[in-house]
Amino acid sequence: MANSANTNTVPKLYRSVIEDVINDVRDIFLDDGVDEQVLMELKTLWENKLMQSRAVDGFHSEEQQLLLQVQQQHQPQQQHHHHHHHQQAQPQQTVPQQAQTQQVLLPASQQAAAPQVIVPDSKLIQHMNASSITSAAATAATLALPAGQLLQVVRAANGAQYIFQPQQSVVLQQQVIPQMQPGGVQAPVIQQVLAPLPGGISPQTGVIIQPQQILFTGNKTQVIPTTVAAPTPAQAQITATGQQQPQAQPAQQQAPLVLQVDGTGDTSSEEDEDEEEDYDDDEEEDKEKDGAEDGQVEEEPLNSEDDVSDEEGQELFDTENVVVCQYDKIHRSKNKWKFHLKDGIMNLNGRDYIFSKAIGDAEW
Amino acid sequence: AYQLYRNTTLGNSLQESLSELIQSQQIAPQLALQVLLQFDKAVNSELAQRVRSRVNFRGSLNTYRFCNNVWTFVLNDVEFREVTDAGSNTTE
Repeated sequence: MANSANTNTVPKLYRSVIEDVINDVRDIFLDDGVDEQVLMELKTLWENKLMQSRAVDGFHSEEQQLLLQVQQQHQPQQQHHHHHHHQQAQPQQTVPQQAQTQQVLLPASQQAAAPQVIVPDSKLIQHMNASSITSAAATAATLALPAGQLLQVVRAANGAQYIFQPQQSVVLQQQVIPQMQPGGVQAPVIQQVLAPLPGGISPQTGVIIQPQQILFTGNKTQVIPTTVAAPTPAQAQITATGQQQPQAQPAQQQAPLVLQVDGTGDTSSEEDEDEEEDYDDDEEEDKEKDGAEDGQVEEEPLNSEDDVSDEEGQELFDTENVVVCQYDKIHRSKNKWKFHLKDGIMNLNGRDYIFSKAIGDAEW
Repeated sequence: AYQLYRNTTLGNSLQESLSELIQSQQIAPQLALQVLLQFDKAVNSELAQRVRSRVNFRGSLNTYRFCNNVWTFVLNDVEFREVTDAGSNTTE
């Protein structure tokens, strides 16, 4: 079982590194004349791959989804195809489901301007668990209207939509056709709803991306009398999101990159670099040389009897659990080795761990 | 800063992302290199400052290599233990 401390620190550390790197390279991007959008895309790609690898929890990016509204499409898409509502059924779904839960809760915290009891959140969650038909995806998008109002749109797995507007506690429900095209969302939605939903959620205010790929693009705010409509740059986000959906889906639906490493046995390899030069060069080097000479002399007669051949070693290098770190001291006494290591990242059985210090023993 | 950590989940996912952007010609290879260099700095710095956990391990040494000041070991049947304040957990 993973250490709780490691479970907490690894994702945080990764998020921290990602943030640092992205912020530091922003200037470089701009100097090269590369658009900020590309930088965001890099970040998104990076976080997606991390999530796909399942070596780490990716909650941070989930939070950002409400703002970027790009990755929301990906996860619901995956769930849509898997038809699962067990959170542990598939690793990929664990994150999306958890993310959805977070997404539902997050808007609550973001509604600082218009505090509203978000009771529907719990209802939605129950909805998700109860129905969870083809797509057990729920996304909540909270967008700040130009007028400073918050409009929260929550979409449940079964297609029902709950929209909560700060000013009026009006809940608009809709039954959305599962396979509505982005372009055709507006019309049918409007017809079915008690009160025109898309109108209220006009892209100006926010976008909800669901497995069904329903986009609210440039709606006519006039439709919903209760909506406060005001042009917002949010439109650009929506359309951009819609465009990215089809692109993202095929990419995501392809076989996930095999980043996890399932140990063939229990081997681990370490690559070390000397930083403080604590380690005794002379002794080790001599040993290395001696070892090489002896090996050559005895290799031929023994080769045929060797169970553990070099070939296995080469194969193992590709599939084994890997520890990447720096060494403080490597000590050997006869065939007893002692390792004093530091600042390492390990990938064991597919999961990532980190240590500041590691001490080990091995017999050769 | 050491480029050591590029072959980790974090580093590899970054390299793959950069490759994709280069493929689609959204960024130049030189820019990608700059990003990786920045990544090296960030990872080295964060690891040194943020991480506090300790790990012990034991196993049998299959092979060892020391080349260009880089040690590479292959161990078999390794047992990792994480040392925490609350006690130690076993990680394999």
